[in-house]
Amino acid sequence: MVMAVLFGIAAPSAAVPVFARKYGYNCTMCHSNFPRLNDYGQRYRLNGYRLPGREDDDKTVLETPAPFAMRTSAGFNSDKFKNTVDSTDVDQFQLNGLDILSGGLIGRDVGYFMIYTPQINGSRGVVAQDGSLEMANVVFALPKRMFNTVRVGRFEPAYVAISAKRSLTFSPYEIYDVAYPAGLPFSDTQTGIEFAGAGRCGIRYAAGWVNGTSNNTDDDMPSDLYVRVAKVFGEGEGQTAGQRIGMVSYIGKARPESGVGSRRTVKRFGADGSFNWTGINLSCQYMRGRDAAGIWDTGLAYKFSGGFVEASWLPTHMAVGFARYDWVNRPTVDEGGDVRRWTVGGRYYFEDNLALHVEYSDRREDRLVGPAATERMFTVRLDFAF
Amino acid sequence: MKGFIFALLFAALILALCGVNQQPAGFAEGQFLANGPLPPIPVPPDNPMTGAKIRLGQALYFDKRLSSDNTVSCATCHRPDAGWADVTPVSEGVAHQKGTRNSPSVMNAGYSIPQFWDGRAVWLEKQAVGPVQNPIEMDLTMEELLSRLNSIPGYVKMFEEAFGTKPTEEGVARAIASFERTIVSGDSPFDRYMKGDKKAMSPAAIRGMMIFNGKGHCTPCHSGPAFSDYRFHNLGVGYKDGKFADVGRYAVTNDPKDMGAFRTPILRNVALTPPYLHDGSEPTLESVIELYNKGGIPNPNLDPAMMPLHLTKREKADLVEFLKALTGELPKVGPPEKLPE
Repeated sequence: MVMAVLFGIAAPSAAVPVFARKYGYNCTMCHSNFPRLNDYGQRYRLNGYRLPGREDDDKTVLETPAPFAMRTSAGFNSDKFKNTVDSTDVDQFQLNGLDILSGGLIGRDVGYFMIYTPQINGSRGVVAQDGSLEMANVVFALPKRMFNTVRVGRFEPAYVAISAKRSLTFSPYEIYDVAYPAGLPFSDTQTGIEFAGAGRCGIRYAAGWVNGTSNNTDDDMPSDLYVRVAKVFGEGEGQTAGQRIGMVSYIGKARPESGVGSRRTVKRFGADGSFNWTGINLSCQYMRGRDAAGIWDTGLAYKFSGGFVEASWLPTHMAVGFARYDWVNRPTVDEGGDVRRWTVGGRYYFEDNLALHVEYSDRREDRLVGPAATERMFTVRLDFAF
Repeated sequence: MKGFIFALLFAALILALCGVNQQPAGFAEGQFLANGPLPPIPVPPDNPMTGAKIRLGQALYFDKRLSSDNTVSCATCHRPDAGWADVTPVSEGVAHQKGTRNSPSVMNAGYSIPQFWDGRAVWLEKQAVGPVQNPIEMDLTMEELLSRLNSIPGYVKMFEEAFGTKPTEEGVARAIASFERTIVSGDSPFDRYMKGDKKAMSPAAIRGMMIFNGKGHCTPCHSGPAFSDYRFHNLGVGYKDGKFADVGRYAVTNDPKDMGAFRTPILRNVALTPPYLHDGSEPTLESVIELYNKGGIPNPNLDPAMMPLHLTKREKADLVEFLKALTGELPKVGPPEKLPE
């Protein structure tokens, strides 16, 4: 739990000065407010890291400055727990993780993107971080095909409709955290292959085949498949312009929590929306899930549902305010019960790539026995990428 | 509670410290040519600039005898007193006939390769003789034009000095192009700002520059020293009832992806040259920005960079201020004291 909270606070996410440097653009070309992408940035990503409409002019990493960037955040964290077994209160200045990012074009129609998080031993206000190749994928652009891009490697899958990697908040989306066997967040990166495309009338679609849950062993065949379909109304991608609704279906196999035993079916179904009105965005996600009997220690099938509703307001490109409500309903077989979290905060941008982030989050998790576990997190920090 | 109060104090301190001096960056050199001071104007190797050619081109540019009814010269539609463009949405040619496209400014046109809204001419040399032969604009055949010029001793002499020949089509084109390459305007507040004079632009213009190269999504097309990529983009202008009033670049290439696409105009001195867009349909800079802010006019070929921007009132005003800061020192060029006789 402690680790989950700490890594939740230090959740790596992707704002990439590599691209801003490459083109000589300000960050707000692609980010409504970093790390969240605007519609142009979303199109750039979906276009395999090539500028929409200027694909022929784009240059490769060999022709442009060294494509590396970093992101970290530092400030004051206050995290108070009640009725939790293994959580420790935090009340101090902290340095929260480090992402090393790289991205660009390898060839004319071949892009790549990478996030490496070096291992950091926690001490004296430096938050611990596991070393990981968080993301490393190659994107093949296939113009005029049904699937415009094919992404291979480790990537943020399309079924994460509201990107957790580019979230405005440091507190995690609860439904994504809960919705996976063996504790791996549903929004975590996956290793595999994904086909994505854009059809007429604002239809967006993606299908993927990935290794799947973390409690599959290394030599398991890739087992998980997913499909996502979305529809955008109006111009844009539903990020900050246009309206978007979507749904995702995910089916996979997972071993029991113990890691021993045959693999069984996990299913997820989600619906999401992103609605924009002037500078206001309302994003929502609903998800239901069912894990077959035997995956969880209880031996029973595990059904849950939940989601979140998030509103953000950009009075100017230099500031954003946000509020979110998360909920997860879990079956009574789980020792952890329903989860409720609400989060409010804001970011003020001194520069496009330097934000003062203020956030308060209140989490409550019911228990089968005893009082509910609570967490109150407050953070003020500078979040910067360079 | 103590932690909460401490954190708030920390936030206030950071805000106070960081708010002291916000110095926005300008345009960084990137993959595409950065927006910055104008370089020397490109001159094709086979038409080097000479004084004799420029003087001849100046005379031809202002001479209404280059039109069938002696009423229209190049300067009629590309007026020096109107930023070397025209003040009406579309210009009038001979017999008060109206064209279909807005007259672009000749100022800094030498940087533009290709020419015309649809790019049908690559160099100014090709562009210069187009309007003369257009039946709506100046309505002269090349034979008639050369016959007229050959009948004017002053022109025969000037052609002899410039090219060592009698008046020819090639000579007319090269002379007008050479003259137009002298109509250059730089040294704007933006140029001075980029050279290090941080007071050259107002704070609003500086903010507008940040919007221009960021949230406004202007730079992907308006890049380079002249603020144009010289490519063709579809904003949806003129699209109604499933049709384009003007097919634009498609008329040149017959490529469906070019339907309704027009060349990115140069933005230097743009504040001097209303109305705007290829059909002159937007009367002010504010109305142009409003068009972009709503994401253009939806159509099947809309440029992928076009999408609603959600600019605030202040951001739009700042953008206008920045565009005004692109107004440079005007070229001290006008009609010759006397046309050749």
